[in-house]
Amino acid sequence: MNQPILSAKAVRKTFGKFVALDNVTFDLQPKQRRALIGPNGAGKSTFIGCVAGQIPGAEGQILFKGEDVTKLQPSALAKRGISRTFQISRTFLHMTVFENMMSAFIMARGSWPSLSTRVFSDLEDEVHAMLGNVGMDTRANETVENISLGDRKRLEFGMALAADPDLLLLDEPTAGMSIKERHHLMDMVVELVESTGKTLLFVEHDIDVVFRVAEVVTVMVRGSVFVEGTPKEIAANEEVQKVYLGEGDH
Amino acid sequence: MNSMKSDMKKKSEIDFRIVALGAAVALLVIFAGGAGMSLLATEILIMALFASSLNLLMSYGHMVSFGHAAYFGLGAYGFTLAIVRADIPVGLAVFAGPIVAMIGGLIFGALCVRLTEIYFAMLTLACGQITFTVLFQWYDFTGGDTGITDFMTPRFGLSEQYFAVFTLTIVILCLMFMWRVIHSPLGLAIRSVGQDRYRAEASGLNPRQLQLIAFTISAFLAGIAGTLFAVFHGNAFPDYAGLGFTLDSLIMVVLGGMKSFAGGIYGAIAYTLLKTYVPLVIQEWELVVGLILLFIVLATPFGLAGGIKRLQTMLGMGGKP
Ligand SMILES: Nc1ncnc2c1ncn2[C@@H]1O[C@H](COP(=O)(O)OP(=O)(O)OP(=O)(O)O)[C@@H](O)[C@H]1O
Ligand SMILES: [Mg+2]
Repeated sequence: MNQPILSAKAVRKTFGKFVALDNVTFDLQPKQRRALIGPNGAGKSTFIGCVAGQIPGAEGQILFKGEDVTKLQPSALAKRGISRTFQISRTFLHMTVFENMMSAFIMARGSWPSLSTRVFSDLEDEVHAMLGNVGMDTRANETVENISLGDRKRLEFGMALAADPDLLLLDEPTAGMSIKERHHLMDMVVELVESTGKTLLFVEHDIDVVFRVAEVVTVMVRGSVFVEGTPKEIAANEEVQKVYLGEGDH
Repeated sequence: MNSMKSDMKKKSEIDFRIVALGAAVALLVIFAGGAGMSLLATEILIMALFASSLNLLMSYGHMVSFGHAAYFGLGAYGFTLAIVRADIPVGLAVFAGPIVAMIGGLIFGALCVRLTEIYFAMLTLACGQITFTVLFQWYDFTGGDTGITDFMTPRFGLSEQYFAVFTLTIVILCLMFMWRVIHSPLGLAIRSVGQDRYRAEASGLNPRQLQLIAFTISAFLAGIAGTLFAVFHGNAFPDYAGLGFTLDSLIMVVLGGMKSFAGGIYGAIAYTLLKTYVPLVIQEWELVVGLILLFIVLATPFGLAGGIKRLQTMLGMGGKP
């Protein structure tokens, strides 16, 4: 096998006495599409936060492209090629959809230290193209406050893509969408990720979506990796079913 | 697609019709109102710049400062001390004020942006009080509570009317600069951090760096206001950096309207007029101002500017900035 693009070694994260992640060891191969599933409170979002830098203070080691990035700030990680979306989408609520995407581009490109609106005109076509990619071009002039939660998720996904990252982390990208919307969005995700050769790690509760999109599935339970395997293996795993039924989540 | 293109451009361009309208109104007041009105107009203009500099921080950077007068005071003292202690000619000293304020903003800002929300506000309060105390206590250098007076002819010796026009010119230039900043790529980044620092950070920005830049620009503009104020009165007192002026700036922004470029301007007009005329009618003018503030905040959360925008939409007019 190749060198993994992301490699977590014995990652542990505590909040006070509470152990949110315990001995998480995890390898992700380049260009793989990996789903991270598990009951509520399993530590999925915490893991994403540790990788992308929003949650500092993890013990253990996180390697990205072979480099130890455990202690880096989110902005430094973004520059190295890690992009993410949040479980509760984060966008700029009092700006238009267009301004949100423009902002994502100037931040990712580092072209913000300028007083010249030339920067905007130069990026305009790319901004529209990306909005088109995620199906938001027709809403470009709407203020984000006024669009649906699902649309905000799609916008944020596009904003994460604007950085052209190598590793894309999506925390519940389809939460709050209808079944049709979910499949539509995830088909689009797969297409965009495939065509640009990105690695994808996504957290998802909808099992249909997981099996449709993921090549490998990692199941987390109570802060640890419970089992890993292909969708088929996971579907057939009785222990996994017990965990899900036992915790009574879905 | 094309309409969008012009939209983002249009938004960032300065609407000179509004600038001209504002300037015309100011000139009318100055020349039709005589010397007394010119003094009042000058005061309003300086306060409009001071309040707008805080508005930049609050409405766009989402940072509430409880010590903004520090930079107003540093502007006034930077200018005054340059003349009194360093024998720099007045014409050059006017640049010292804003520069000193900017350096103050850079140093205090670097400290303050390490924290957020109320903790940030508390740090700005502390920095403001430090500035005030130093100006107040350091007799040998700053003159302490007696301030510095009689070091120049107030208003460069200009008539009330000509100095008002001079102030108008400087304030318009500063506000145009501020508009330019807010609608530039830098301004978009500042607004992004203000609206969701986590999203901005995940997209590759260092939020503190952007906050510090906004803080420094804001201090610079407040320093220009402070310098103008010292020239206007021909003096500098520690109060210029004190809580009174800090409070004035906060009230003006809230009164005028947050989330709006013109908020600081409306606020300065309304507040200065209230401060000038209400005491003539009733002694407890602070009570009246308090009640009016209460009413405005409850009636229209985004202040006068918000109220005016609402009126415009109700009357079916386009929203002006
Ligand atoms: N900042 C924090 N302080 C204290 N506890 C926290 C903090 N963040 C998360 N936790 C706890 O850590 C555990 C894991 O949370 P996490 O958000 O990672 O779960 P998750 O697997 O993403 O769950 P969900 O499916 O509900 O999103 C939870 O019990 C949560 O309460
Ligand atoms: Mg989660």
